[in-house]
Amino acid sequence: MNAQKIEEKPKTEIAGDEPIIICRSVNKWFGEFHVLRDVSVEVAPKEVVVVIGPSGSGKSTFIRCINRLEEHQEGQIIVDGMELSHDVRNIAAVRREIGMVFQQFNLFPHLTVLQNITLAPTKVRRRSRDDADTKAMQLLERVGIPEQANKYPGQLSGGQQQRVAIARALAMEPKIMLFDEPTSALDPEMIKEVLDVMKELAHSGMTMIVVTHEMGFAREVADRVLFFDQGRIVEQGTPDYFFESAQHPRTKLFLSQIL
Amino acid sequence: MTTIQERRPGVINEAYYEEPATKPPPLLAVGPLAWVRENLFGSLMDTCLTIAGTLLVIGVIWSFLAWAISWANWFSVTLNLRLFMIGRVEQFMDLRALVLALFICFILGVNLAALARVSRRVWGALTITLALLYLLPALINATVPLPPTYLAAGQIEIVSGSVTEVPVPTLGFIAHSGETITIQVAHGIADSDAALEKLNSFTDRATNAIRNAAENRLETEARIAELNTLLAGDTLTVRQREAASSELASLEVPPPVNEALAVNQTPVDVRILDANFEPLASATLTTDTEPLTIAVPRDGWYILEKSVEGNDSSVDILAINGVYPILERNFLRSDPTDTNAGPQRVYQYCRATDIFMVEGGRPRIDGEDIPAIGIIDHQYKNARPFSDYLILMLAPLLNQIQLPVALFVALTAIGYSGARWVDRQFSPASKPRSTSRRAATWLWIVLPVVAFILIAGIMPNGPLQFSDSQLWGGLLLTMLLTAVGIVGAFPIGIALALGRRSSLPVVSTFSTLYIEVVRGVPLVTVLFMSMLLVPFVIPSLGGPDTAPYRAMVAVTLFSAAYLAENVRGGLQSLPPGQEEAAKALGLAGWQITLYITLPQALRAVIPALVGQFISLYKDTSLVAIVGLIDLTGVTKNVAAQTEFQSLLRETYVFISVIYFIFSYVMSVVSRRIEASGSGAARRV
Repeated sequence: MNAQKIEEKPKTEIAGDEPIIICRSVNKWFGEFHVLRDVSVEVAPKEVVVVIGPSGSGKSTFIRCINRLEEHQEGQIIVDGMELSHDVRNIAAVRREIGMVFQQFNLFPHLTVLQNITLAPTKVRRRSRDDADTKAMQLLERVGIPEQANKYPGQLSGGQQQRVAIARALAMEPKIMLFDEPTSALDPEMIKEVLDVMKELAHSGMTMIVVTHEMGFAREVADRVLFFDQGRIVEQGTPDYFFESAQHPRTKLFLSQIL
Repeated sequence: MTTIQERRPGVINEAYYEEPATKPPPLLAVGPLAWVRENLFGSLMDTCLTIAGTLLVIGVIWSFLAWAISWANWFSVTLNLRLFMIGRVEQFMDLRALVLALFICFILGVNLAALARVSRRVWGALTITLALLYLLPALINATVPLPPTYLAAGQIEIVSGSVTEVPVPTLGFIAHSGETITIQVAHGIADSDAALEKLNSFTDRATNAIRNAAENRLETEARIAELNTLLAGDTLTVRQREAASSELASLEVPPPVNEALAVNQTPVDVRILDANFEPLASATLTTDTEPLTIAVPRDGWYILEKSVEGNDSSVDILAINGVYPILERNFLRSDPTDTNAGPQRVYQYCRATDIFMVEGGRPRIDGEDIPAIGIIDHQYKNARPFSDYLILMLAPLLNQIQLPVALFVALTAIGYSGARWVDRQFSPASKPRSTSRRAATWLWIVLPVVAFILIAGIMPNGPLQFSDSQLWGGLLLTMLLTAVGIVGAFPIGIALALGRRSSLPVVSTFSTLYIEVVRGVPLVTVLFMSMLLVPFVIPSLGGPDTAPYRAMVAVTLFSAAYLAENVRGGLQSLPPGQEEAAKALGLAGWQITLYITLPQALRAVIPALVGQFISLYKDTSLVAIVGLIDLTGVTKNVAAQTEFQSLLRETYVFISVIYFIFSYVMSVVSRRIEASGSGAARRV
């Protein structure tokens, strides 16, 4: 897998019709602290959106709102035609369609790799155990670690754990994948193996929202880059535009410090 | 080697590409010697602590062993094993309790096969232990002679201090067919009071009185000699000198006891009769005659008559082999062949030295039971030599436990091998232990039902007739309370823990209130409430036959509160990411609890949970205070019997060992569970 050369991903044409995620004037507060201010974004199917920004700018909170790990307090979030509200059934339905990968992997340490992957398909989607196992092995093949299936997460390296986490999310066959700084907790030597998997995933046409500090990944894979600061989208655009000719002084300052 | 002058901006370590050479560590850096040096004698302080600690441990163990072997009266244990194990339950419970224990051993064997492999070394150790259990008592019984019983004969009053004793002329005893009884006049002991004083073995009251008189006289003599030495010196003040003189004047050395009582001076007539007063043998014995020897024709009661010929002023001390103190027991038993007759009182006589037992048939004279060689009057006196300890204490204990222990081990082995065999036959290669695992789970589920049927009974008659719950006792009751406590408190505790974390205010308030109230009350109080308040508030549940059940409920509800807090600690120790990840996968709330948080939380708190279970196990001893006869209650009862009065030390040492064994097993099992499966993986 790592050795495979990943082809250049053709940039997705952002069609105006039928966005799969719609956020309209989303506002959120943690107590008095205003985390998200009037965030409005639309994401088209198969689009790869990379969210960057300084710490505390609300990027993680933003994507956590999309699968309702955080509740937004004002505005509208519509995923795949379903609006996120207090309706539990909607939340469950939305979560079935969205896979999420966390910075800290959050694998279930008491279950083997295989059990981690098959748990949700068997319990939520009611797949048979054999189907789930077969599918899980395919996914492990896809992320390049089929030989680790019967190990426990604690026995794997960070990069392997994160790839298992991706496989676990994919096992639910989601329409959308959210990545919350998937490589930030990894050793430099392991970042590439995870990014390769993500690139392959983007290439296969998955709708992805990725919060990351990997500018190389953003430049190579993203259809669109969102720059967050203080709970607002300061600037957005294609990677070419964003990295070459960003206009806003805050964006320029940020880019000058990390590039 | 690069010198400073040769330094270049980048250097490759060529040696890196070769297989690195491994050097052995210095000789004194590894191995037991190095460990000892580093850990025990690392510094002056360490050395001092090591030496002081070692001496302390040796001293404590030494004095304990000296007590246990020379002085402790373990008859209170060896004669009451049944009481300790199952209490005063009906006779039919013996078999049922054994079957239950064997069933549990079988399950443990199956479970063992499902979890671990028993190495050849463990099998070897078990075999050796079992062999020892059988060989050791056999060896002791074959090689170590039983000590004699000393009985005084004569018509004279023997005065020792305030005690006056007259030797009993007729005594009953029980004997086993084929045994030899030897009676002779005790050699050597009448030569001096010093010899009389050192008389050690089973002695009757009259012999005790003689021995005490000799001891008193020797002590008085020693005191007079001491006072004379003091008065001859010049270390005393005037006042002390006066006191010493007056004490000396008050002291009077009685004549030597052996001479005053003319011990062993007169021939003694001895007769042995069977239970129907038919004489079997008789002799007139002096110190010079051959001992009277007689082979016992059959199991049962015999009578010993002894009298000193016509002389009112002399005493003989007989050394008798084959006649030993007995313990009398009685209980109610119904005739299994005649169910119409009510239960009859059965008298059982048990010989202390080897647990040989005879039922009823006690001979009577003029309607009175003839006095027996009871263990109250014929206690072992003086320090016991090691050989006597082996034959009197160790061998009878091992003889009693060898069969049950062998059966327990056998059933465990059968369960283990059976499960292995079933696994080989039916388990798929990918999951080689799945069949035994399923079998073990089912057996554990069936166990409570089986246990209830065996202990409580399910029918009015027959082998599974109802047992009287008031009689449940001993280890049986302790284990019953513990098992019910654990099985009951575990789910309630989990429910309370989840309840306390619930977002519903009613549920969380109730859980919190329950936990805090119960944790604020001592277990004794809860037990007293269940014993005293329940009969008052709900009379239908308050009968004496429900007392064990009420204790179970009290223990369960009490432990649940503590368990809840342990489980809650485990739930709180989980990183929030676990729940988030589970939510993001679309799992419902109850699924998250069931599959993600609870398993991890419980695994995280295994040490605390097992600690709670162990403390529950030990806390069940408190039911002794509210009148149930558990292991601790039995101890109190045994020490209250006249035969074993004031033998609290021995019985408490014994039950401590039992408590310890089970607690230790629990803690070992918990460590194994912690180390197994994902528990082991997590620590990698």
